[in-house]
Amino acid sequence: PSQTITGNFASVIHGLNANHLTDQVIQRSKRMILDTLGVGLLGTSTEVCHKVTQYSKIYSSDISSTIWGHLDFRLPPLYAAFVNGVAVHSMDFDDTWHPATHPSGAVLPAVIALSEAFPQKKKISGLNLLLAFNVGIEVQGRLLRFSSEARNIPKRFHPPTVVGTMGSAAACAKLLALDQLKCKNALAIAASYAGAPLANAATQTKPLHVGNAAKHGLEAACLASQGLQGNKQILDMESGIGAFYTDYNPQALPTLQSYPWLLDQQDVAIKRFPAHLGTHWVADAASSVRRKLVESSDNLLPLDKIEKVILKVPEVKYVNRHSPTSEHEARHSFQFVACSALLDGSMSVQSFASENVHRPALRELLCKTQLEHPPDNTPSFESLYCEVSVILRDGNTISDRCDTFYGHWRKPLKKEDLEKKFQSNASSVLPAEATEGIIETVYNLEKVEDCSVL
Amino acid sequence: PEETVTSSFAAFIHAVRPEHLSKTVCHRSKRMILDSIGVGLVGSTTHVFDIALQYCRELYSSVAVSSVYGKPGVKLSPTLAAFTNGVATHSMDFDDTWHPATHPSGAVLPALLAASQMLPPSTKPNGVDFLLAFNVGLEVQGRLMHFSTEAHNIPKRFHPPSVVGTMGSAAATAKLLSLSAAQCAHALGIAASLAGAPMANAATQAKPLHIGNATRLGFEAALLAARGMEANPSILDDIPGCSGFSAFYSVYQPKPLSTPSDHHEFLLEKQDIAFKRFPAHLGMHWVVDAALSVRNLFINYAGSFSPSLIRTIVLKIPVSKYINRPFPSSEHQARHSFQFNACTALLDGEVGLSSFTESSIHRQELRELLDKVVVEHPEDNVANFDKMYGEVALLLHSGDVLTGKCDTFYGHWRKPLSKESLLKKFRSNASHVLPEEKIETIITMVDNLENLSDSSQL
Repeated sequence: PSQTITGNFASVIHGLNANHLTDQVIQRSKRMILDTLGVGLLGTSTEVCHKVTQYSKIYSSDISSTIWGHLDFRLPPLYAAFVNGVAVHSMDFDDTWHPATHPSGAVLPAVIALSEAFPQKKKISGLNLLLAFNVGIEVQGRLLRFSSEARNIPKRFHPPTVVGTMGSAAACAKLLALDQLKCKNALAIAASYAGAPLANAATQTKPLHVGNAAKHGLEAACLASQGLQGNKQILDMESGIGAFYTDYNPQALPTLQSYPWLLDQQDVAIKRFPAHLGTHWVADAASSVRRKLVESSDNLLPLDKIEKVILKVPEVKYVNRHSPTSEHEARHSFQFVACSALLDGSMSVQSFASENVHRPALRELLCKTQLEHPPDNTPSFESLYCEVSVILRDGNTISDRCDTFYGHWRKPLKKEDLEKKFQSNASSVLPAEATEGIIETVYNLEKVEDCSVL
Repeated sequence: PEETVTSSFAAFIHAVRPEHLSKTVCHRSKRMILDSIGVGLVGSTTHVFDIALQYCRELYSSVAVSSVYGKPGVKLSPTLAAFTNGVATHSMDFDDTWHPATHPSGAVLPALLAASQMLPPSTKPNGVDFLLAFNVGLEVQGRLMHFSTEAHNIPKRFHPPSVVGTMGSAAATAKLLSLSAAQCAHALGIAASLAGAPMANAATQAKPLHIGNATRLGFEAALLAARGMEANPSILDDIPGCSGFSAFYSVYQPKPLSTPSDHHEFLLEKQDIAFKRFPAHLGMHWVVDAALSVRNLFINYAGSFSPSLIRTIVLKIPVSKYINRPFPSSEHQARHSFQFNACTALLDGEVGLSSFTESSIHRQELRELLDKVVVEHPEDNVANFDKMYGEVALLLHSGDVLTGKCDTFYGHWRKPLSKESLLKKFRSNASHVLPEEKIETIITMVDNLENLSDSSQL
């Protein structure tokens, strides 16, 4: 009988096994796992994370999973997934893919929380975790290719809430070793949890998008495992996942024989500082302009000599903020990152601390900043660029352009720099040996017998 | 400062008082509460309910203070109790329907019941507070649906309870918890990020989750807002280039709510609710009434109901893919099938709970009738609960044609159920799980809701 796309997805989720993982996929996904853990560990110290932890503590019980970096109490898997997911996205420091979404944050917290819930005699190996993780990433990537809308920076629904929920469901279904029928139902049920509007980006609620994607995907898989049924053509119908897109063309997945993973063909971008991906082009261009303006990095930027700062960026409304007042807004502001990088020479976690967001020198520079949207600058993470021009009072103009920032998939972070980011993040909550231990474990994930050591 | 649509909603939720409730609104909402409880009670006997309950019990055990329909002695944490009860309410598609289309009560009542059990004895809400919060939840849903002309017709993309229901639950819970106006706005904002489920899961076992999640997640949004979580304060406003609540509609024109000064006109005043007489999608009710009327004609004509005399059965119905199923194979599909409901009515002379059991669905006589059905979509039959009609025509072998037509079924807002009919439905539902005295107690309590001092008794 002719197979539906949904049935096809279910059979692939069900049929993929560790032998299908290629070396490159393994390597890339381990980098993603390490980065995500670091970002999550750091994120547990944020205010938004404190709030959701308090909220989730209402539901403590026997089946318990950990909050990354906090061994003092445990939560049920669902809420652990939720809290850790929020942590991962709390500073907008997590990975980004093309077509655009934050793939790891929606999947890793769920599979880790779930793996901790398995009884002693049925421990999950590192390889199983790695496989489930990749199933979750793959499903997201495939779904994003069903609509041309997905190629550009989103406007309507925040992608992690659409495909992230589905990815989490697929990954958990894999970890739970559900049969094909239940995999289909997990996807169907997850669809009914998917979809959050973009307007909450740049607010404190945005991190919940990833937290909920992880949590709801896990819930969908658990409900499917208990026999709940949904629409078995959820991926095929326009009124299924198609509801989130104006144009939707689903396609069947390739056969399992030497399966072509998307992660093989398209790597992720890893952020160097915690802000929206679009701002990374701006930061690199601005830092380079600063170097031209100031001989030594000890010198201060000569503010009074600057007449205007012009940023040539793509048109992306939710990252266009002239005067951000909160850290969430600052992380979604081309202008803020440009001025911050001009002033300090580089961006870091500290750039978004309250004192820095409100300092007078920054505010002064912001007033002189304006945006331009050249028609050839398309709002797609694959093709956008940024040009920073500083016009001086004496008439001179210093500018520079960035086409590919360091960390983008075309210019991936080197191993040392990835580890440096992880160490810097993780050390905010863990002691040095633990940090080293995690790096070790992730690098050798396929060999780990019991992944709950993670 | 310039007022946004969102802030007008927040101000309304925050400032509206019991005095603003009119008599009609009180009366109608009490009917809805009663019906919703009954439907939830009978729903606690379904399989989908069992799954939801087992799931919740396995995962969570502590702070279990909220009750579950039909399971005395079982308690769950508040949001999960709301989830489970919401699933129960919609499990058989037996709950109320409004215009523009959604199932309003199921998305609001479970959250309020669970929340009132959660609050400490010193701050328990009384019956009036409860009734007010309930109405805030309905009002917000109704107002939101008026922001889009799309909402007037039977939905195609997102299942309305998952869109506006979540918002209504957030608003109602925010009201019950007496959140500040700013917190009410954030509750709405957080809820929007939890809203929206595609239509494809209607007519499947997952559909009841839409209501369960609407009430649970709206409740969670309010709880998070109470703890200080912040969201986009313009979530309901239309900001081009960055969608808020507008993401769920292709056409969206929001309007601010007037702050209730002395007098607020609730939508429930002008537009009543439809209550279902049997557990199936609302559209089925028209064809069933039409089928019953033509059945009577047929019996007068032939002496008894003889299917062999019928050559073809023609159904004239509006166009709506998800309720057009010639041969449903599960109870969920059967509840969403014009053909099935018409034939059952013709065969049995009535449609009730037992019409949807496995054995009933697969009966030979029914299958034979279904084989004779042909569907037509007259242009004047609009897919809209205010305007649609159902017509059933029997084309006999003899050449004669008998027709029955229904413009307004009994239970529709234009022809509301009488008090006796509503009570009959409640008693019949509740008796599946509760003893008689309890049933009568609930009826009395809801009737006197304004006078109740502690609404958690409900």
